[in-house]
Formats: sequence, structure tokens, C-alpha cells
Amino acid sequence: MMSYKLSVILTALIIILFLPALAHAQLTPPQEFRAFDTPNDDGKSLSLTWKVSLENDREGVYYVISAAASADGPWYQIDKTLSTIGYKSDFPQYFGFGDDNKLWHFYEASKIPDVMDPITSTAYFRLAVTDGTKTVEFPNMVSFAPQGNWFDKSKINILIFVIIFSSLILFFISLARRNPNLFIRHIPGLDAIEETIGRATEMGRPILYLNGLLDMSSLSTIASTSILGKVARKVANYDSQIKVPCYDPIVMSVCQEVVKEAYAEAGRPDAFKQDNIFFITNDQFAYAAAVDGLIVRHKPAANLYMGYYYAESLLIAETGAATGAMQIAGTDSITQLPFFITTCDYTLMGEELYAASAYLSREPLQLGSLKGQDISKAFIIFVLIIGTIVSTAESLFFIHLFKTF
Amino acid sequence: MIKRQIPLMIAFVMGILFIIQFFVPHQLSQDLLTGVNKWLMIIGGISLLLGINSLVHFHYVQIKRETPGWGFSLVMFLCFGLALVAGFLPSIVMWFVEPAKAGAEPVKWLSFIPLIPPFEPGSTLFWIFRNGISPFMATMFSMIGFFIASAAFRAFRARSLEATLLLIAAVIIMLGQTPIGQMLWQGIPDIMVWIFSVPNTAAKRAIWFGITMGTIAFSLRIIFGIERAYLGGTDQK
Amino acid sequence: MSSDIFVWIAAFLTIAIYSFLYKDNPLYKAAEHLFVGVSVGYSIVILYFNVVSPRLLVPLFQEGDWVLIFPALIGLLMVSRFFPKYDWLSRITIAFVLGISTGINLPLIIQASLLKQLQGTMLAMTNLNDILIVVGVFCVMIYFYFSSEHKGIVNSVSKIGILFIMVGFGASFGYTVMARISLLIGRLEFLFHDWIHLIK
Repeated sequence: MMSYKLSVILTALIIILFLPALAHAQLTPPQEFRAFDTPNDDGKSLSLTWKVSLENDREGVYYVISAAASADGPWYQIDKTLSTIGYKSDFPQYFGFGDDNKLWHFYEASKIPDVMDPITSTAYFRLAVTDGTKTVEFPNMVSFAPQGNWFDKSKINILIFVIIFSSLILFFISLARRNPNLFIRHIPGLDAIEETIGRATEMGRPILYLNGLLDMSSLSTIASTSILGKVARKVANYDSQIKVPCYDPIVMSVCQEVVKEAYAEAGRPDAFKQDNIFFITNDQFAYAAAVDGLIVRHKPAANLYMGYYYAESLLIAETGAATGAMQIAGTDSITQLPFFITTCDYTLMGEELYAASAYLSREPLQLGSLKGQDISKAFIIFVLIIGTIVSTAESLFFIHLFKTF
Repeated sequence: MIKRQIPLMIAFVMGILFIIQFFVPHQLSQDLLTGVNKWLMIIGGISLLLGINSLVHFHYVQIKRETPGWGFSLVMFLCFGLALVAGFLPSIVMWFVEPAKAGAEPVKWLSFIPLIPPFEPGSTLFWIFRNGISPFMATMFSMIGFFIASAAFRAFRARSLEATLLLIAAVIIMLGQTPIGQMLWQGIPDIMVWIFSVPNTAAKRAIWFGITMGTIAFSLRIIFGIERAYLGGTDQK
Repeated sequence: MSSDIFVWIAAFLTIAIYSFLYKDNPLYKAAEHLFVGVSVGYSIVILYFNVVSPRLLVPLFQEGDWVLIFPALIGLLMVSRFFPKYDWLSRITIAFVLGISTGINLPLIIQASLLKQLQGTMLAMTNLNDILIVVGVFCVMIYFYFSSEHKGIVNSVSKIGILFIMVGFGASFGYTVMARISLLIGRLEFLFHDWIHLIK
């Protein structure tokens, strides 16, 4: 009798203990299965979502997605995914950072192998859940036709920044029109250019000007050619010579134009020698070897290195320093800055390169844009301070505003 | 006037168009980007004509005027021609030999030249790269080893607070990477890691912010036509 | 000593280049001109086979992709530089290249450089090092501020900024020294091992 009671109690205990597991072992049909156009894409995929399920989402259970190009089939299994992965919250670029994204599964269907790759027209989908022995299906099929989107909403923060910076810079340019005497602090490296050219003239030696190793599509090269214009104007005024060995043919062409115009404006068009601005080669080290040769043979009184450089920076600048030339460098290549700092008399660091042409031109509109850049920087510092405080307070909302995809 | 206005207009329209393109994921927009990248490559390719003209002209003048060292210009021409011949000759030969495959009479007098496309192992150009250009690049690169030492010495002589700091940090990093550093004092690797992760990170990040803001402002100046010095002449013109 | 002729050629070129460390000399000049010539010739061949032929000539003349006439014409406008009367036409090409690359790059810079860096810097300040990084970033950014003279408090802050910069550059310098010295060792190894077999 006693043993009978015990066995009943034990059985009851086992049932109570394993009841949730038994309940779990039940598979339920997936809920609220939907298909829709994938947001922010070029129209080559569809998005599928369905509700997270307490019963289905566990180890050993998979969702099986089938697709067809027509409602009548034939149907192809396009994926079998673990039930514990793939949520809307994993794709903030499509759905943002809302908490309820964790309640939805997400699958991006980009192709039906051998039928439609990528998916470009209406596709039909079925969803089933399986634990290997039992399979339960969502009762209906879903369908949708993908569309190319005309605006990527995940990039809206970038658009806002473009608008903010453009507005700030345009505002300060218009301010500069009304009040041309905007204050810009001294930049020693740029103030030294005049002295350098004077020294070269006194010594009767040329000035060497390099534009870096990037082509004309690089902003640092554009900045460099712009500085060259201002330098060439001063060189023409002093009746000195400037040599510009180039790494890129288009850059060479721009430099010829810039220097030619500078000489013309200085009233000395006949003193311009096109042959002084020449192409050497577009191989990094052959260029460095040739420039080194040029430096030791022509012994320029001053070397100006403006633009973007790689490892050759030290080869060139150290050779220049050894000849005793006065050297001014300006680069936004962070890795090469230490070498220019140790070998040159003055170095324009990073953004100073971009400020240089505005600084040298002293033109109100340019200075206005520089002021706008400064205010934009102040805005960034402000954002950084707020962001750090908010982060320390363990809030993610503010950080999410700056998330890029 | 029009000679400046048209280019400025083109820069403005293209600039705005491709800013907009960035925000449009549509296939048309992607095709535009792919297409224009191809265009830029073609333009870059054709512009090399200017470079060749400049190079040939420069060295031709050296030879013609017999300026000191003009013989080296001859060396340049010789090597320039050699690389061109090595690169193009197999293709030119193929023009003649190719009909042989279609059953036509083979051009026997050309068949002694190995018909390996340029850049592939066995071709002359590949040989030039492996035995000429490649060791040259390695040698030039390695020369930085000497130059970096003299640059460090230059910084040492500067005797300013900034130069001293730079050198101290450099020495710590160098020691930290070698077993000698640890033998001298066990704390050196920790200091090295700290320098890298704190002052170095802060400085680089701030400089990077500056460069970013500088490039953004500079780009806008180009698009709005305020920065136009690249067209030659002063900015007001 | 090596019996491989190619090793001898490479060794000769290596020594020719290194001879520049002593002083400029005919050997270096010859090597320099040799490489200028070869490198330009080589890049012409690369450009023809990788760009001009597959991206322009073949699609234009064999596949009838006539749209490519436009980039070809825009590129050919650069040749107007040879004719002084029409050289302003080359500005069209330059403006075209500049406008497109600036337009493409501007949003990319904001995306990849600005926003990513902002995210990386907006750290929760949990220890002294985090505070130092934020302070360092602030001081260095003040150093680059153009709108106020380096006087008073701005001067003090930017002085701290320059200290951060110098330590940072020192770190890069020290790190690069090791990499470059190993390259130098590699080259010396070629000379003393591969060429004259002095090092076994």
C-alpha cells in the first residue's frame, strides 16, 4: 500500500516537474507571418517577419522557409534557420531600435535558387516550424513584390549632418560678406611661407613644391594645388623659381594652369616656365628616388610638401633636411605626420592643410567658410560632451542617433 | 568668364547629384555610381597621355640641350621603351599569329616570341617586375631604416619639450616591443600599452575629427564654388 | 657567392640605390632613371590592359556600348592642354572629376569618419583612462581651433593638447621604427645571404 502511494506521489511529482517541458515539446503554428518590401534597398529582396514564440523558440527547433515564383508553385526550400536567432532587433538599419523588435523574427529573402536570383518580382512564401520529427505550418502563404526605394531612411542622420554643416558654412560665408574682418589666428607654418620664398630668392635657388601621392579626386591634393597657387603668386612677385615634380598627370596639368595664372596675375606671364612643372612617374618609390635626386642636384632653398603621403615621406623630407633646405610640410596623413614633424621646420597638421588656402587667400568668403568649419567643430565638441555624459548615465538613446550602417 | 563659370557649374551639379545619390538605394542610383566610377577610370587612363608627353618632353630637352647628365635621360628612354616593348609585343604578335588557330597559314617569322600575356609568369614584363621593380621597391623601402635613425637624431637635437616627449614615447614603444625592454624594467610593456591606448588614441582621434571637419568644409567650398583655385587664378576672379 | 644572374642584378641595383646614402653618384643616377623609365612603361601597360582595353576599347568597339564615347571625350579634353588657345577646355574634365569625387566622398566622410568616431569617443567614463581620453580629445581639438588666438586659458588647454599630440606621434614613430628596421634587415639578409653567402 505504502509503495503504491509512494509511486503515485512520485509520478505526480515527475508530471509537475516536467509539465513545462512537455508543454514546450509542443510545436505551435508560427504567428502573424508577413512579407513586405525590404526597406532602404535597391529592390532585390523581400522581408519576412513572424512573431517570436515561447513554445517554438528553443534548441533543436528550426524555421523552414519555402518560396515560389508563382502561387501554384513549384515550392523550393530557401532556408532552414535556428529558431533562436534572427530577430528584427538585429537589423536596426531597417526597423530602428524599438524594444518591440525583439518580439519579431526576421528573415531577408534575396533569392529563390535556380528560379529568381535576385528576387525582382512577386514572390510567394510559406513558413513552417520543425523539431525534426514534427512539422507545423503557418496556414497561409504570403506574397509581395519588391521595390527599389528612393530614400535610405537609415542614412537620415548623415543627411541631417550634411544639412547642418552646409547651413553653418553658408551662414558664415554670408556673414563674411557683410563683415569681411573675421578673426583667424596665426598659423606659424603658413606665415613662414613668405620668409621661405624670400630666403630662396636671396640664395638664388629654386623652391620645390610637392603635391603628395594622390590624384585630383583627393581633397588633400585639391587643397595642395590651391596652396600652390598662393605660393606661386608670391614666388612670381619675388622673381624666384618654383619646381613642381608631379606624381599624377592630371595633377600636373592643374598645377601648370594654377602656376601659369599666378604668374599672369603677378604681371610676369613671361617668367612662367611650363617645364618646371613636370610629371615624373606614378610609381611611389621611383618617384621618391627621382625627387631625392632632384633635391641633392638642384639644392632647393625651400621644400614644401603639401598633400597626402605614404612611406616615401621620410625618404624625401630627410633628404631635404640633410641639404639644409627650409622645409614646410602639410598633410592629413596621420601616419606620416611624426616624420614630417621631426624633419621639417614647420608642419601643418591635418585640418590646417585644408585651412591653408583660405588663410593664405585672406578672401572673406574663404575665411567665412573657415569660421563655419570652426563652429561646426564646436558643435561636435558639444555633442561629444553630451554623449559622454549620457553614456556614463548608461542611456543608449543619444548614441543611437549617431549609428551608421 | 564663361571659361570659369562652366567648370564651376559642372562641379556644383555633379557634387550635388552624387550627394543625393548616396541617399538613394534604388538600382538606378547604384548603376549611376558604378557607371561613373568606370568613367573616372577611363578619364584617368586617357590623362596618362599628358604624363607621357611631359616625361618624354623633359628628357628629350635634356638630351637635345646636352645638359650635364643627359646620358641618364637616354637610360630612361631605353628602359621606358623596354617595358613598353615587353608589355605590348606579345599582344601585337598575337594579332599576326592568331589567324593560325583558325586554320590559316601561321606567321612563322613571328613565332619565336613567347606568346605569354603581360603580367603572367614567364612573360618578359613579369620578369622585369620580379627582378627589377620588386627589388628596387624593397630597397627604397628599406632605406627608410637609415633615414628614420637620422630623423630621430634630428628630433633629439631639437631639445624642445615637444621633441623630447616625442622621443621618450618613441623609445618606450621601441623598448616595449623588444625583450630588452622587459629585461630593463618589467613595467615598460604596460607603459607602452597605456601610451597606445590613452594619449595616442586621444590625439589621433582629435586630429581625425579635425581632418574630417576640414574635409567636409573643404568639400562644401568646392561644391559651392568658393574654392576655385584649382581652376587657376585668384579666388575672386 | 651566388651563381644566379638574377640575384646579381638585384644585388647590383640594391647597392646602386644604397650608394645614395653616401652621396649622389652616377650609379644612383643610372638606377633612378632606370626605374623611372621602367615604372612609367610598366604602368602604361597595366593601364592599357586593365582599363583602356577592357573598359573602353572592347565595350566601345566590340560590344557597341557607345555611351563610353562620353568619358573618352571628357578624358580627351585634357589633351586640349597641348593647344594654348583651347586649354581652358581641360578645366571641364577637372571640374567633372572634382565635382563627382567630392559629391561621392562628402556623405561617406560624415558616415565613416565623423559618426563612427563620434560613437567611439562617446564612452561611459568608468575609469581614469576614459576621462583622460575625453580630456585629451577636447584639448587637441582646442589646439586646432582657428577662431581664437592661443592666449590665456585657450593657450593652456592647447598646450596640453600639443603634449598629447607629441606623445601620440612618438608612439607612431617608435612603432614604425621597428617595422622599418626589419625591412632593412631583410634587405641586408638578401645581400649577405642570398648574394655573397656570408650569412649561412
